[in-house]
Amino acid sequence: MDQLLFAVSTIIVGVFGCVAYFYFSNIILDRVYPASGPNAGANINKANAIRPWLFVLPALLVLGLYLVYPVFSTFFLSMRDARGTFVGADNYTWLAGDDKFRESLGNNLLWLVIVPAASTFFGLVAAGLTDRIKWGSVAQSLIFMPMAISFVGASVIWKFIYDYRGENQGEQIGLLNAMVEAMGGTAQTWITLPFWNNIFLMIILIWIQTGFAMVILSAALKGISEETIEAAYLDGATPLQIFFKIKIPQIWGTIAVVWTTITVTVLKVFDIVFAMTNGQWGTQVLANLMYDWMFRGTPDFGRGSAIVMVIMLLVTPVMIWNISNAHKENR
Amino acid sequence: MKHVMYASAAALALTAGMAHAEGELKFAPGEGAFSWDSFEALKSMDLSGEKVSILGPWLGPDKELIESVVHYFEDATGADVEYSGSDSFEQQIVIDSEAGSPPNIAIFPQPGLAADLASKGLLAPLPAETADWVRDNYAAGQSWVDLGTYAGADGTEALYGFFYKVDVKSLVWYVPENFEDAGYEVPQTMEELKALTEQIAADGEVPWCIGLGSGGATGWPATDWVEDMMLRINTPEDYDAWTRNELPFDDPKVVAAIEEFGAFARNDAYVSGGAGAVATTDFRDSPQGLFASPPQCYMHRQASFIPTFFPEGTEVGVDADFFYFPAYAEKDLGKPVLGAGTVWGITSDSKGAQAFMEFLKSPIAHEIWMAQKGFLTPHKGVNTEVYTDPTVAKMNDILLNADTFRFDGSDLMPGAIGTGVFWTGMVDYAGGKDAGEVAASIQSTWDSIK
Amino acid sequence: MEMAGTKSRLTWAVNLAVGFLVLLWIIPTFGLLISSFRDRDAISTSGWWTALSASEQNVIVRADVPDNAVQEGQVWVVSGNVFDSGAGDVTAFGITSRAPEAFAPGEVAVHANGHEITVGANGDYRIAYAEQPSGSRGQRLFVRAESPPSFTLDNYREVLFAEGMGKALLNTLTVTIPATIIPILVAAFAAYALAWMEMPGRALLIAGIVGLLVVPLQVAFIPLLKLHNNIGIGKGYIGIWLAHTGFGLPLAVFLLRNYMAGLPGEIIESARVDGASDFAIFRKIILPLSFPALASFAIFQFLWVWNDLLVAKVFLGTGEDQVVMTGRIVDLLGSRGGDWEILAASAFVSIAVPIAVFFSLQRYLVRGLLAGSVKGG
Repeated sequence: MDQLLFAVSTIIVGVFGCVAYFYFSNIILDRVYPASGPNAGANINKANAIRPWLFVLPALLVLGLYLVYPVFSTFFLSMRDARGTFVGADNYTWLAGDDKFRESLGNNLLWLVIVPAASTFFGLVAAGLTDRIKWGSVAQSLIFMPMAISFVGASVIWKFIYDYRGENQGEQIGLLNAMVEAMGGTAQTWITLPFWNNIFLMIILIWIQTGFAMVILSAALKGISEETIEAAYLDGATPLQIFFKIKIPQIWGTIAVVWTTITVTVLKVFDIVFAMTNGQWGTQVLANLMYDWMFRGTPDFGRGSAIVMVIMLLVTPVMIWNISNAHKENR
Repeated sequence: MKHVMYASAAALALTAGMAHAEGELKFAPGEGAFSWDSFEALKSMDLSGEKVSILGPWLGPDKELIESVVHYFEDATGADVEYSGSDSFEQQIVIDSEAGSPPNIAIFPQPGLAADLASKGLLAPLPAETADWVRDNYAAGQSWVDLGTYAGADGTEALYGFFYKVDVKSLVWYVPENFEDAGYEVPQTMEELKALTEQIAADGEVPWCIGLGSGGATGWPATDWVEDMMLRINTPEDYDAWTRNELPFDDPKVVAAIEEFGAFARNDAYVSGGAGAVATTDFRDSPQGLFASPPQCYMHRQASFIPTFFPEGTEVGVDADFFYFPAYAEKDLGKPVLGAGTVWGITSDSKGAQAFMEFLKSPIAHEIWMAQKGFLTPHKGVNTEVYTDPTVAKMNDILLNADTFRFDGSDLMPGAIGTGVFWTGMVDYAGGKDAGEVAASIQSTWDSIK
Repeated sequence: MEMAGTKSRLTWAVNLAVGFLVLLWIIPTFGLLISSFRDRDAISTSGWWTALSASEQNVIVRADVPDNAVQEGQVWVVSGNVFDSGAGDVTAFGITSRAPEAFAPGEVAVHANGHEITVGANGDYRIAYAEQPSGSRGQRLFVRAESPPSFTLDNYREVLFAEGMGKALLNTLTVTIPATIIPILVAAFAAYALAWMEMPGRALLIAGIVGLLVVPLQVAFIPLLKLHNNIGIGKGYIGIWLAHTGFGLPLAVFLLRNYMAGLPGEIIESARVDGASDFAIFRKIILPLSFPALASFAIFQFLWVWNDLLVAKVFLGTGEDQVVMTGRIVDLLGSRGGDWEILAASAFVSIAVPIAVFFSLQRYLVRGLLAGSVKGG
């Protein structure tokens, strides 16, 4: 109960504090540069130059402290060894020769290709199909639902799919193996199958992200003007032709946005690998490798930070693309 | 202003946390064979209002057990001790100490990790007289002192770790009635154990349950196997050299030990579920096969703590029992025993933390746990009459009969090896990779951190 | 005529395809839901999809101890029932682990020591000794039994009360609510300034914030925890609220700015002409109009904070009063690795709230997402 009281009082204090900051800083500004009197014109200009900064200041402070500063701090850490001595680029040369790093990089690239592609594809299919039927919105809700499930919850869920029982260990309780056996195949330990286990982990993320892609793409499809479609109908195009030749070209922009958004999520993928395999059996990815070096065994922040910088480097193209897009829209 | 309000809200939260219920004492002071005088002696310390936070790897039943011990300290001194367990203790302690918010005391399952923190100046050395105390009061005292002595940030060696709670690892668990039904005898030598394994397989049954799964720590049960095998085919000196990397990981002696493990774990006919299931089966699920109907396996090699994970109501000594994981008769290496223990170190020094470490030296701190479940100790001053469980006495026998006692090697290696690539390497090996290749890759990581 | 035919066939195909897709997507979650109502033995011996049919399993039961044998005429008898609850059908039994299904119910098995054992179809067993037996350990009976499907609420009871999930739920709420509300406030003001106020370097700021969207969180852990310790808030709720605020801000500013920038400029201009201050415009015009975007970000941030494990592990303590639900489940995975029923129930408890929030508020979520992704679409 005390805790609840504490939370509630903090909400009130925090919210009130924020509002008070904005309100009072405004009033003070108006007092310092009153919009009346001898210098009214100059004052208004000065106040108008300062006011936006009052509005963005808290956000900039928090962002600077919680995101910008750590990036630089990490960069400097990446030039030091486990004991904090400056070693220059040693950590990066070590990375280049490390097997696990290469494996992680390879897997990350695999994730980068497969997950956004598959999620966008399924999302597009689901969006295209659900738009045409009566219970479409119900179907969309159900497909979107995994978005609300935590990665930890999702990995418990998928354990019930991928579980394996050996020959003398009773009947299969994992759905996938039960189906394989029902069809006459032999059960497999899915999460240790070389190469394929990566795919099985990716399926979990695809399962989660498809709903996101579907919702966005479905909205974009609805935004396409009716006339072009009508015209195509009259020309005798089949629904499939209309979908691929008329609709898709018109939503390319949206598809690209969805694709990049999922790409960013994929680069940071950590929880699924951590919970399902912890990077063993050839499923290591960069975020988990970095976690290993930073927090497990002999903690080596230098190497961990170097891996983070590689992740940063990989997201940079997406970042630039995002920025230039935002820029275009602003103009 | 916002900041001030937060601070006062924090103070509010702090006082809310103080309303901490004192637990009940499990055994009434003055009753039974306990060394109550050592409990009374604790009362000379007055630590009212002192808070001690402890972080350890124990969860579930183990957490209740350690808390039952802690209550006596709280009761005697008036201190407020908060124990919290974490499944990812290894990561948690690193994050917390690096960032400067460690608990007062940390319970390390691996001396290697404690040594790492000590070398970064994140552990406080124990008082000088502690080393002498351990030497005098622990059986094989010097070896425990050695295991707890590390180089500090400035390179000087000091005692940082105190051992409390020891495990014997060289045990094979089985169901005696299943052995009777099938007419099997408990093997006395490694040759007999191998013959029994073959016989069980020839009878169309499965001899072993082996599971390496353990979440983020997957692979460690295999390292125990390999260490036990190291002690059974190589000399103790080789073993020591191996843990210090004076004997390289890819030395033929080490590769042979890995292959000895493979002889059991990589044979489809020898392990429950086939070799493919070994790496994915959780080590906690693995012993369940012993108790299935019909049995899914007949033997399970695991440390003394494993009965915690037996099915509810299983009585050790009757429903399940253990025998010593035997040595080769033809090799003149005696009866080696592999063991482990938890090291306690001070991560944030305070009066309460010092007092608590002092408490761990008192017999009562050991006896409370001994009287409950699965607790072994090298403390010579405890009254062993408090053991309620005859099987624990049997484990002590194994300890006493040992010609060689060696500490879990993976715990002695640097963290990146012992809790890193050794684990993952064993998973790769269980999955079919070549032993020499795995050993070479572990050695190359070891080279890279030197 | 033919046109209509293909059309209805096509509609059928689409319906079927969507049905299949939906099925594929909900089956995993559905499996978890079913499993969370089954008991431990049932989960570990049969798949959840068989939950509705009777399950057959082999169990080992220990008969009453020989010391309790009663004399019946010539023989000494130990008797009882193999089922705890009394319900079930025995289909076979045995007396050694080597032949656990050797006898049909009602048959008499003779033990190597001479006593006779029989187990009936209803589970009643009877062991007859020629002479008075002694011993404190009962005979093992191997029984193949068919038990009717059963569902239980025990898992939830245990998870909520015995495993501390109830407390963890409270902790999660304590983390989530402030960590959702604070960033909204901070972001809303910034978004308004970036959308509608003239300031130098505005485009640069926006670009910077968009860039921050992709920064991996892991970079922030050690530097920030050090910072928190230096300024004296250490590990605790205040720290995690601030951290989640920081991590959530780029998306919040980005979504809200995009939405606000799309609001009709004439309203704002005319308000300015009427002499309204920026603060008044923000409060009276922008905030009410931006409600969908605010709500959508709130849902997003709520889901993200609720489901977060990593940030909580780093910025919160490990004590009972600070462990959140995801952390508790991961601990359960460790300490109760084999207890699927506990895992299933606790996972479901943790996902029930976000799913409820999601279903009741999803239309806002979608609208906000659209503002961020399909500008003007």
